[in-house]
Amino acid sequence: MSAQQSLAHKHLTYEQAKDIDENIEWAKINTDVLRSMENPRRGYWVAMFISVALFAVMIYAEVYQYQFGMGPAALNTSHMWDLYISTFVFWIGMSHSGTLLSAILHLVHADWRKPIYRFAEAMTTFSLLTAGIFPVIHLGRVWNFYWVMPYMSDRGLWPNFRSPLIWDAFAISAYLTSSVLFLYIGMIPDLAICRDNAEGWRKKLYTWLSLGWRGDDAQWRNFRFTYLMIACFLIPLAVSVHSIVSMDFSMSIMPGWHVTTFPPYFVAGALYSGCAAIITLFILLRYFFKFEHFMTMPILDKVCKLTFVIAMVWTYLNLVEFASVWYGHDIPSKEVLLAKASGPYSPFFWSMMLFGSILPFALLSPWVRRNMYVLFFVSVFLNVGMWLERWMIVTPTLSMGHHPQAFNTMWPGWVEWAMVGGSFGWFGMLFLVFVKVFPSVSMYEVKEMVYHRKRTVYEDVDEMMDLHSGVPGPSSAPASQTTGGA
Amino acid sequence: MPSLLGNIFKGWAHYSKGVEEGGHHDYEHMFAMVIDLDRCTGCNACSTACYAENNLPVVGEDKFGARQAMHWMRVERYFDEPDMDKIAAAEETDTQSRGASFLPMMCQHCNAAPCEPVCPVGATYHTLDGLNAQVYNRCIGSRYCANNCPFRVRYFNFYDTAESWPAPMDQQLNPDLSVRSKGVMEKCTMCIQRTRAARDTAKREGRALIDGDIQTACQQTCPTSAIVFGDLLDETSAVAKIWKRQQVKLGTYKQNKENPDLRGYRIFEELNVDAKVLYLERVREV
Amino acid sequence: MSSTKIDRRNFLKVLGLGGAGAALAGCDMPSYATLEEGEEQVFSYLAPEEYVIPGIGVWYASTCLQCPAGCGVHGRVREGRALKLEGNPNTAVNRGKLCQMGQAALQTHYNPDRIAKPRIGAKEVTWAQALAFIKAKSTGTPAWLTGAISGHQGVLMDAHLNASGGGKHYGVEIVNAQAWRSACADTIGDAQPDLHIDKARSMVSFGADVLGTWISPVKFMADYGEFRAAPRGVLTVIEPAMTLSGANADHWVAARPGSEAAVALGVANALATEYSVSTSALPTGVADAIFTMTPERVRELSGVDTRTLSRIAGTLMSNSPSLVIGDGSYENAVAAMALNLMLGNIGATITPGADLVPADLAMRDGSTKALANFAKNAQSGDIQAAFISGANPVFTAPDGLNMKDALAKIELKVAIAMFEDETTQFCDVVLPLASPLEDWGTHAPPLGAARGEIHVQQPLMEKLHPEALGLGDILLGLAQDAGAAGLDDFEDYYGYLRTAISAMIGTGQEAAWQDVLQAGKVQAPATQRSFTANGSLTINVPESKAPGKGELILITTARQGLYDGRHANLPWLQEAPDQISKAVWDSWAEIHPTTAARLGLKDGDYVTITSADGALTTRIFLYKGVHPDAIAVPMGQGHTHYGRYASSVGVNPLNLLGADTDARTGEVSNTTTVHVQATGDNRYLVRLMDIDRQYGRKLTATISADQQRRNQSNKQGGA
Repeated sequence: MSAQQSLAHKHLTYEQAKDIDENIEWAKINTDVLRSMENPRRGYWVAMFISVALFAVMIYAEVYQYQFGMGPAALNTSHMWDLYISTFVFWIGMSHSGTLLSAILHLVHADWRKPIYRFAEAMTTFSLLTAGIFPVIHLGRVWNFYWVMPYMSDRGLWPNFRSPLIWDAFAISAYLTSSVLFLYIGMIPDLAICRDNAEGWRKKLYTWLSLGWRGDDAQWRNFRFTYLMIACFLIPLAVSVHSIVSMDFSMSIMPGWHVTTFPPYFVAGALYSGCAAIITLFILLRYFFKFEHFMTMPILDKVCKLTFVIAMVWTYLNLVEFASVWYGHDIPSKEVLLAKASGPYSPFFWSMMLFGSILPFALLSPWVRRNMYVLFFVSVFLNVGMWLERWMIVTPTLSMGHHPQAFNTMWPGWVEWAMVGGSFGWFGMLFLVFVKVFPSVSMYEVKEMVYHRKRTVYEDVDEMMDLHSGVPGPSSAPASQTTGGA
Repeated sequence: MPSLLGNIFKGWAHYSKGVEEGGHHDYEHMFAMVIDLDRCTGCNACSTACYAENNLPVVGEDKFGARQAMHWMRVERYFDEPDMDKIAAAEETDTQSRGASFLPMMCQHCNAAPCEPVCPVGATYHTLDGLNAQVYNRCIGSRYCANNCPFRVRYFNFYDTAESWPAPMDQQLNPDLSVRSKGVMEKCTMCIQRTRAARDTAKREGRALIDGDIQTACQQTCPTSAIVFGDLLDETSAVAKIWKRQQVKLGTYKQNKENPDLRGYRIFEELNVDAKVLYLERVREV
Repeated sequence: MSSTKIDRRNFLKVLGLGGAGAALAGCDMPSYATLEEGEEQVFSYLAPEEYVIPGIGVWYASTCLQCPAGCGVHGRVREGRALKLEGNPNTAVNRGKLCQMGQAALQTHYNPDRIAKPRIGAKEVTWAQALAFIKAKSTGTPAWLTGAISGHQGVLMDAHLNASGGGKHYGVEIVNAQAWRSACADTIGDAQPDLHIDKARSMVSFGADVLGTWISPVKFMADYGEFRAAPRGVLTVIEPAMTLSGANADHWVAARPGSEAAVALGVANALATEYSVSTSALPTGVADAIFTMTPERVRELSGVDTRTLSRIAGTLMSNSPSLVIGDGSYENAVAAMALNLMLGNIGATITPGADLVPADLAMRDGSTKALANFAKNAQSGDIQAAFISGANPVFTAPDGLNMKDALAKIELKVAIAMFEDETTQFCDVVLPLASPLEDWGTHAPPLGAARGEIHVQQPLMEKLHPEALGLGDILLGLAQDAGAAGLDDFEDYYGYLRTAISAMIGTGQEAAWQDVLQAGKVQAPATQRSFTANGSLTINVPESKAPGKGELILITTARQGLYDGRHANLPWLQEAPDQISKAVWDSWAEIHPTTAARLGLKDGDYVTITSADGALTTRIFLYKGVHPDAIAVPMGQGHTHYGRYASSVGVNPLNLLGADTDARTGEVSNTTTVHVQATGDNRYLVRLMDIDRQYGRKLTATISADQQRRNQSNKQGGA
């Protein structure tokens, strides 16, 4: 038996990679991802222009509102909250995407998350930054927004800790800080790769950001541990954040809001809209940056299935809420439910049910899951459904209530729509900048996927080194060509 | 520094007493009202007096239609009387066979006010007079308190109101209280400026407050004397006597009246907000 | 309350310095004009009067002139500005209470649209020029056109008219009680009896808005509070469209417009036939009319059925003493008095009024008869010069009277007014009038005379517009110019009043004068009248026919708020929701839902209402508190020239009325037949609330009077 054949008798382990192409070299991973960060083409600038334009409209609307008051937003004595709060909740919800993919799936070793979690985490951070705008601009006296922070005021005044809005402030700040940290720390090895391949201002930026990463063993060990710890910390934080945001409503006594299931319902909705947004951005990034090798169909398939499961959880919790109202004694709550279903807002309510509960069934069809165009629109409409859901939580309750004198149907004014649209512009701006400055696919984790697939176990390390370091001759075939158990 | 942090921790046990145990305040007064719906004619004098006393802006037709008006005291009018159907066979005639029912509605100054805990900056709180106070200077306008009010008696300044008082109308403004700028929540204060003035006068004269020292604007002008205002902690006050006669107690949402047919009731009592305005049912001759 | 002595003259000099100091205090947004920039004006009180403590208000007594009731007020004054009005607790008329019109008197005073300077035509002139112009053009006898007027203003007006060759005074009030007065005079010999609602156990009103706009609403509302206290009185109202009184009725009955008399007689008939109540106290013609008013005839004329008549009669019989009032038409008021006579209310709830011993101080009631006469006399050239104050005939006159033409025929028209209005547009000279809060006067309130009470009006602050003059001052000046006797000693109305009142109280001492001012009233001697029965009186109940196909009967209603339109320029009252429809800042036409369905209309539809004399277009408001044959349009809106708050708001139904006058009283009818046509437009009528049901919540609850009586008798509680 030759040396090779004897080696062949040693342990060989394979892990078939199901989710990603078999023959990707690490170098290719680097070049593909780094290429996506090169100078942008026209399409990018068009997208950026649209985002900036929307954001500019939002700035204008905010200046207008700052000058004239909250009146032009069409708010009134009955509808003291409207699109600002519902869009706020929507963006907080969207922010759960990254946490889900990064943290939760990391803990359960779902490796298929590896190519896609980077942009999902970015989405989390930017969603939070977008969401954070709304509690500030919805205030009547915006310039005093910092009073919600507990600081040593010279009058000894503290915020009111009994208020869910203060809990919001704490929760969102904590979540934002943690998410930024998580995103950044997880990106350090990649930033080092960028540093090694960059020139000019980028090189300076990446050098500074990568904190002297060398890729040695001790650093990797620290890194893995830190990453895991933050992930473990982030998951309960994410659940609590959206639960706290839901308590803005459930701690109120308004019919339709005073619902115990709101915390899990909101968290489920958040995960749902996060997943749907992941699908959308997945398709966009895959198409525009030609990431077909990394953001593969099998991964998309899995994301779709996950979305479907979460959609069903959300649907269940939704129906639980309806059922508990329907069979309960709380007349005002029942009136609100009936108003949602048959009143002036009913088209939006039924659209929400259609997009939120019926449309996900499309994800069960393999054809849909493979068709990029259809899937794109499906995912966008899933998120439309989730935005409608937030609106249908806020407004129908305020259009009814305990006192019939306050019954009033209100439609949002141009200021509110401008702010909502502008928030998408702001998010778009942030995300577009991100994909050009930072790697939107986690290079080192994709390498791990490939590495694991190619991993073989040898008893003799020296033989392994010989095998891989010398010039391969016809007799020293790579281990992959020997079958396991020759 | 210790005093800054002391605010947070001091008296937690005291603070966490529920409203059923009398709440966490050491009340000096417990101002309350009684409104006799049988005497109320719905003439709206109370509402206009409130506009005059409290610098309320007039918003005009468009904003009124958009429901952005600022009537702290509003007189509602209903035509249905479900109780009467139990007493007299409903006369299903085409025309109205009875008058309407009027309901003066303003801040109920609930002892367990749902608006108080939810303000992020603590701009609304319960005073030691038993009133629900709104601190304009502290309000940042998050409007959560208004959402939580089941009576919908909180009004937000959606606009600046300077044009409500073109000169010389601004000379009518009452200097005892501010004109609120945009972005601030406001509501009936039970004429706290009059309360303070009366307390100051009593203090200066070295005596306690007597029933009748304080008259809210609405009470003072009501032509039929349908509104009674006073201190529940003063047993000799008219208000306390009526509450006692009607067998309505604070601190509970289920009144155990010996005679359940008594006229006194509170609105939305089942929400356990412990409102301090007692309404006396309208009486109808059948 | 101020209890220190005050020196009026010095007080007046000192006032007004603090006027501009009330800068708006926003919360913490920086104001754009700062003291450093020299644009904020702050006035300091270096040497205020000894009784003025800056920061603490001083209360002065005066009289409210927002309607002819003349309630006493206390005005709160701080730093020289009047801030708030409350009722004067010392007056027997309103006993410390005030209605929303009185509260809004502050806006009448501080209104930005007040006339500041005299003008002749379009040109602003000085007083000297204006008075010279008037003197030059005053050939022929002058006439005065005012609202209801009383007190010394009336005396001076008479002096002016007499000294100028005997002109006439036309006292005009669209909202009046003339039918009631005539009926009282003709049945009990006293045109202004005293009414005691608080003593009554039941009250029935046939078309008199006793709680809203009739005679002295605040007094009646205060009495009504007692009326409802134990033992509780029962209120029944019969009217074509629900007014504030009807909105508080235990029993409300819709009667076809103009048919209230039939219903009243029908009730009397029920009393006589079912309850065998004697008609011996009645004048013979009236008794005859009662017996011919059978229930069938009542139904035919008014739509009211027999059961309702019996119920009203039964209520009157079981709740004694009662009080029956009626207005709108002479016959209606006579029928109401007939019921009082039959039920023995005379002397119980209706007692004789009193004549003021200085009789010329008594109230000269306003009427629409005077309006019609004014138009007629002007048309025929009998009026060469007219002085108009406190009336807006161009706005309030029915088009059928051709008021504009009539005015054109008058050579000299002088308006003495606070605001430019439709009438001042037609006047040659417009003189700025001081507001009631800036002026002196005395007023004999309609129901205060019984107690000999004359209310005193004094300025609460310095004049906002220095060139405005008080009515008394102007009257005094004109009377002096015309050569009236005995007035030469007085340099101003204050001097005249002080002398006159000192004569009334029998002393000229300062302390006594201060007492009068602090009380806000002066007790004048009054002689009690007594009732005299009338043996014979014929009344003809007019045939009130159902309207023809496609026609409805228009009635114009006055509301306690905008009243007859005089308060449409007060934003508080425009924004105060109408008591019943809860509409703001607009007009509407009330229609019964079945009528609307028949005409194919829904709430908010615009309709054109056409009468023989004019047309208007407004939105409809559906509710059941209107007789199906009626369309009720509240009066008060529809100004074309009345300042920024009133112009182009709503429509004026008064112009649609015809010029027909009542045969007996001369009053212009407030109903007319109209044709209603949808225009196709629809727009939401802005209201305080869109709903009129409680949706199962316990917002306003009701208990039966029986239960309340049980509560009280059980001594277990109940208020």
